[in-house]
Amino acid sequence: MCIQRLFALFLCFVATFIFVLPSYGASKIKIGIVDTYTGPATSYTQDVLDGFKLAIDKVNAQGGVLKRKIEYTTRDEKFKPDIGLAMAKELVMKEKVDVLMGTINSGTALAVSDLAKKEKIPFFVTYAKSEKIIGEKGHKYVFNMNENTEMAGRAAAYVLSKKPYIKYWICGDDYEYGHAIAEATWKNLQRLNPKVQKIGESWWKVGEADFAPYITQIMGANPDFIIVATGGAGMVNFQKAAKATGLNTKIPFYQHTANELGTLLPQGKDAPEGVYGTSHYLFYFPDTPANKAFSDEFMKTYKRYPKASALVGYMTGRFIAEGFKKAGKVNADALIKALEGMTLDSPIGPLSIRACDHQLELPTYFGVTKKDPKYDFLVSGDNIVVSPKDFMPTCEEVLKLRKN
Amino acid sequence: MDIVYSVLPPQFLSQVLVGLSRTTILFIVASGLSLILGVLRIPNVAHGSLYMIGAFVSYSIAKLFGGGPSSYWWALLITPFVIALISFVVERGVFQFLYEREHLMLLLLTFAFSLVFGDLVKLIWGVEYKSVPVPGAFQGFVPLFGGIPFPLYNLFLLCVGPVVALILWFIVNKTKIGKISRAAAVDREMVGAVGINVSWVFATVFVIGCLLAGLGGVLVAPTVSVTLGMDHTLIIEAFLIVIIGGLGNIWGALLGALIFGLSQSLGILLWPKFGIVIPYLAVVVVLLIKPTGLLKSTW
Repeated sequence: MCIQRLFALFLCFVATFIFVLPSYGASKIKIGIVDTYTGPATSYTQDVLDGFKLAIDKVNAQGGVLKRKIEYTTRDEKFKPDIGLAMAKELVMKEKVDVLMGTINSGTALAVSDLAKKEKIPFFVTYAKSEKIIGEKGHKYVFNMNENTEMAGRAAAYVLSKKPYIKYWICGDDYEYGHAIAEATWKNLQRLNPKVQKIGESWWKVGEADFAPYITQIMGANPDFIIVATGGAGMVNFQKAAKATGLNTKIPFYQHTANELGTLLPQGKDAPEGVYGTSHYLFYFPDTPANKAFSDEFMKTYKRYPKASALVGYMTGRFIAEGFKKAGKVNADALIKALEGMTLDSPIGPLSIRACDHQLELPTYFGVTKKDPKYDFLVSGDNIVVSPKDFMPTCEEVLKLRKN
Repeated sequence: MDIVYSVLPPQFLSQVLVGLSRTTILFIVASGLSLILGVLRIPNVAHGSLYMIGAFVSYSIAKLFGGGPSSYWWALLITPFVIALISFVVERGVFQFLYEREHLMLLLLTFAFSLVFGDLVKLIWGVEYKSVPVPGAFQGFVPLFGGIPFPLYNLFLLCVGPVVALILWFIVNKTKIGKISRAAAVDREMVGAVGINVSWVFATVFVIGCLLAGLGGVLVAPTVSVTLGMDHTLIIEAFLIVIIGGLGNIWGALLGALIFGLSQSLGILLWPKFGIVIPYLAVVVVLLIKPTGLLKSTW
């Protein structure tokens, strides 16, 4: 008897929570963030979150949007798509979030994107780089707020095709991101400069600690240029091995994000010089007042320089806030309509969300690592700005992918 | 030299050397794992975490001593003892009460420890990648075989490997604690029955094993980015090495590490596109031929 009564009491308790919480949330705009906050990826996702907070705190300090405060809640998906999807579901069903955002994991991003489509909730992908997100799996409710592998590959190929190298070696992390970035770079390089040849490939497992055997082998093969498709901690591991073997002084090589703070900061002054890289944000370039203001504010708040992912988080927060403001109501379809084609000022100049595929149009900075007396780490020098119109896939190309 | 190169191309020789330097790290970590597995019968999944902590501690110590090229030597000297201290606390605090439990239970417990250690590292050192400077004398590279550049630090690793193996051989074969621990591996009740405090023998062996994990972490630190998750890849490789070498046999760990390290580096040379599978293929072949591992297992 007693147990049954307790159970009934417990049910009442649960029911109260289920009914009370949504009404409590109604006077707020709720954003649910699913991202990886354990493991090496955290180095990037923390900056997304902190950049986002910076934008949202400013909006809330001015009274919020549509007289509502913006509130967010985070879930750690631990880099696992199944956990990420379950958490996104929980955020939608229980927390009744108005907007979903997050994740550095392409697998999770695609799974959550599918959920967003079914539940009709706008989903802002912050740091997953799969081109499928807005390409073949793209739909009305998903937005991509950072560059994807196709964009990165095209931007790199755009610059590399003008260089005199012929014999290329391709290598990278043996998982989707590695292959996608290598494939995108190589495919577009071949298109832009039909003279290039691939003389070999090597692929290592994700998290490979020791690159020396791979590098000595590639040096033996003696290519003109190496495309290195690593991500995350592999970026630093490869650069350290490149420095130890002298690869950077013998054969030039390119890594997407090689010139980014996330890769160069941990190595301090020991990072290899002369490595080619692409990035969509550098806190010291372009040296404009807007960029300086943003990096100073980030530095003041978090006591560190913002990485490329900080800009993504910051702009996602701003687009969501401005989107709701323009929409005039808290409604998914109205928000989407408001955001399509919207342009906002950013630390690196005006940025727009392309109406046709919901891709944020970001420039790419192609640079080469070099020392700078101002910092105790290497920076990206000789930066070439590749503007979105020079490398982004056209609307027709993206929409064609969605049809197949 | 040209005569040698006509039989063994310089590329091959350089890959062998690189493979051997990788073997050093694998052997040091796997021998510690094997020691604990053999004597204490604990499949210590948290062994990889101690390797990771070793790398992080060496970062902190190097920073403490100025972060310059020579600061690494202090890290190399001090870190293994920090790890030994941590493992001593864990052993006396938790494991000493659990030796009689089933392996599955111990496996789960050490797995839990690896999660706890992972989060502790995140709490203490944060989420940023860390980098430990290569010690001054071993920065850069030398042209070896046919002018192929070879990292100096890897040469240093090549010297450390045999030294550690010798010290281990000495401890296991020539010291009292080594002899007792070998006896305890075979029959722990009998060792207890002749009046030896088995509990302290176990504590010593556990600490030595973990110290090796920490040493591996310090040695690998200058060549990689010190990061969360570096424990996962390594622990899998270490277990494979211990399994193909023979559970609990330190020389098995050496043999396993040699097979793993060399098949990896030569696999890359022969078949760069799929070199990644060669070490695992080697493991499969070994287990097909000898499912109990190459050398005598103590289990």
